[in-house]
Amino acid sequence: MVGTSQDIKEITIAFDVMGSDHGPEEVVRGAAQLSLEAPHIHALLVGDRDAIDGVLAETKHRAERISVQHASEFITMEEKPGEALARKKNASVLVAAQLVADGEAHALVSAGNTGACVLACARFFQLIPGVRRAALAAVYPTRGTRGEKEDPFSLILDVGATVEATAEDLVTFAVMGSAYARIISRNERPKVALLSNGVEPQKGPPRVVEAHARLSTMPGVNFVGNVEGVDIPKGTVDVIVTDGFMGNVCLKMLEGVHDTVVELAQYAYKEKLRWRAGLAMLSSGIQRIKDITDWEQYGGAPVLGFDRIFIKAHGRSKARAITNAGKVAAKAVAHQLGTAIQEGLPR
Amino acid sequence: MSLPDRIDPPPPKRIYRWDLDKTYLRTDFDSFRDLVRTAMQKAHQKVAVPGASALIKELADKGDSRLCIVSGSPTQMRAVLEEKLKLDGVKWDEFVLKDNVGNLLRGRFRALRGQVGYKLPAILESRASAPVEAEEVLFGDDAEADAFIYSLYADLIAGRVDERVLNQVMEAGSVYPNDAERVRQAWKKIPVADPVRRIFIHLDRLTPPAHFAPYGPRVVPIFNYFQAALVLLADGHLTAPQVIKIAVEMVQTAGHNIITLSNSFQDLLRRGLPLQHAAAALSQAMEGPNGLLQAMRPVPDIIAAFTKRLAALGTAPPPPRVQAVDYLALVSHALPRTHKERKK
Repeated sequence: MVGTSQDIKEITIAFDVMGSDHGPEEVVRGAAQLSLEAPHIHALLVGDRDAIDGVLAETKHRAERISVQHASEFITMEEKPGEALARKKNASVLVAAQLVADGEAHALVSAGNTGACVLACARFFQLIPGVRRAALAAVYPTRGTRGEKEDPFSLILDVGATVEATAEDLVTFAVMGSAYARIISRNERPKVALLSNGVEPQKGPPRVVEAHARLSTMPGVNFVGNVEGVDIPKGTVDVIVTDGFMGNVCLKMLEGVHDTVVELAQYAYKEKLRWRAGLAMLSSGIQRIKDITDWEQYGGAPVLGFDRIFIKAHGRSKARAITNAGKVAAKAVAHQLGTAIQEGLPR
Repeated sequence: MSLPDRIDPPPPKRIYRWDLDKTYLRTDFDSFRDLVRTAMQKAHQKVAVPGASALIKELADKGDSRLCIVSGSPTQMRAVLEEKLKLDGVKWDEFVLKDNVGNLLRGRFRALRGQVGYKLPAILESRASAPVEAEEVLFGDDAEADAFIYSLYADLIAGRVDERVLNQVMEAGSVYPNDAERVRQAWKKIPVADPVRRIFIHLDRLTPPAHFAPYGPRVVPIFNYFQAALVLLADGHLTAPQVIKIAVEMVQTAGHNIITLSNSFQDLLRRGLPLQHAAAALSQAMEGPNGLLQAMRPVPDIIAAFTKRLAALGTAPPPPRVQAVDYLALVSHALPRTHKERKK
């Protein structure tokens, strides 16, 4: 249905409407906003029809650019992905992934249970030839900016899809991350690095050392060597490559630091009048930092390696983040991310 | 015995009432600059809403209907508006415009923006000279108060609204006494009947459809005229080939495609409009020889797109509930958009 030569400019994004922290409301509103902002993008909303229609009826939207696929079940954040998917055959994420696989939509966006999303993709999508394992990427705000859009975010992958990655997997992740950064951040030669415990080529476990050696000889990837954890928030490089275990630990730690800083600021605000005054004086600067590092502008992060595009939005995503996730997904489709990845892989 | 020197046309079986700006024409008058630009436009510069002229022409095809236009545009624009309609091949029977210069000279400033005191007497007076059995379909938009005025009009002539409510509405709507008197006089001349079948509200401002729920299922908010054509097919005003013609025109001139049209169809289904038979009729019409369609897209693709949108919903949604309209509760809908009570 989609993707024929006649509708090549029209891109359909399937949204898994259910299962996010805010329920269907924010996802539907985000898709509705997308219908107002992007004439070439169509939203296919997958989930409980009544819930979707209830929100749509109250929300400004363009009906010509929205369709609904009813799905009677969904996976909650608390459920174990494998068990839940086996039990709930008509879960919205499964239905949405199948629609993408069948060509009814070009890409999938979900703010639901990450594990369930990745499993659903694995069930219905094919890995790109040459890719052994998929990688879940995440964006993280940094001090430096990059690309034509001056993105204040770097890309970290993998953050949980492939816990034990081989050297070959790490090389693949580097190629995939590089292609994604090139397309989405309009960054012609994104700097790619391996995460290790030192910048020297021989530092790190054998798989990292081997990946370093291979990447050093790959002309298609702007590989700059190893970086340490401290380089992530600095934004020294644009794409940081690691295995799913280390990536997940890093990401959680970075999120924890962020939350702790916010809590400390709140504590300081309440504790002393002088501190409060100090924070008040800094408020415009703090707001500026918040604006710059607002992850909602990025919308979501991709699962890379499949032949279809999947953007995982944060579970806490509000409408704006969902709108942007849809735009990111459409951009990845329009620029043929899958083809770009395949062309960059070692022969 | 002498033959009559003229043959009067047969009385109309159907009356289609249209607003013009934002319903038939893409008009901007939200700012003073827009207003000036609109006033200065020549006929060929004015743009019709996609599918609107095709729909009007198809509705007139049987020759047993009347087209009555009541527009809030000033009378000074008659020549250019008539020229535009002629350019589009639209033939009208009545064309009422607003005498805003007269309102200004008489110091009737409320009437410049007011809609109830202008449109309600105009369409009631038009109805007073129409055959009692003539059905009506009304077309308006969400820019001002069309849904309210058209619904009130329909319920007045059906005897569902009494004079006390009417007077309260006109008072709340700041209608001038002489306009209120015109409304009452015209209303009393009209025999009680229930002719208004549908009221289409073109969502020029993309007002969320739920805004119109209090008016019941007779009022159908539409995002485009393909949706109106589908409902009119289901209501027996159009045939399937006519709907296909309208769709083809929208594809050829306004960038619509198989996705936007099938999504539009599904949107109506999800709102509980009974279109299953209309869909079947369309499908049947497509299976015949249809060069126009074939040029656009293989017919099986088109049928598949619509079928999938239908199947995607599982069970058919229930039709919207028929309910009495509480005009006093909705009276803020009758006020000009800029009125502070309406902005609440």
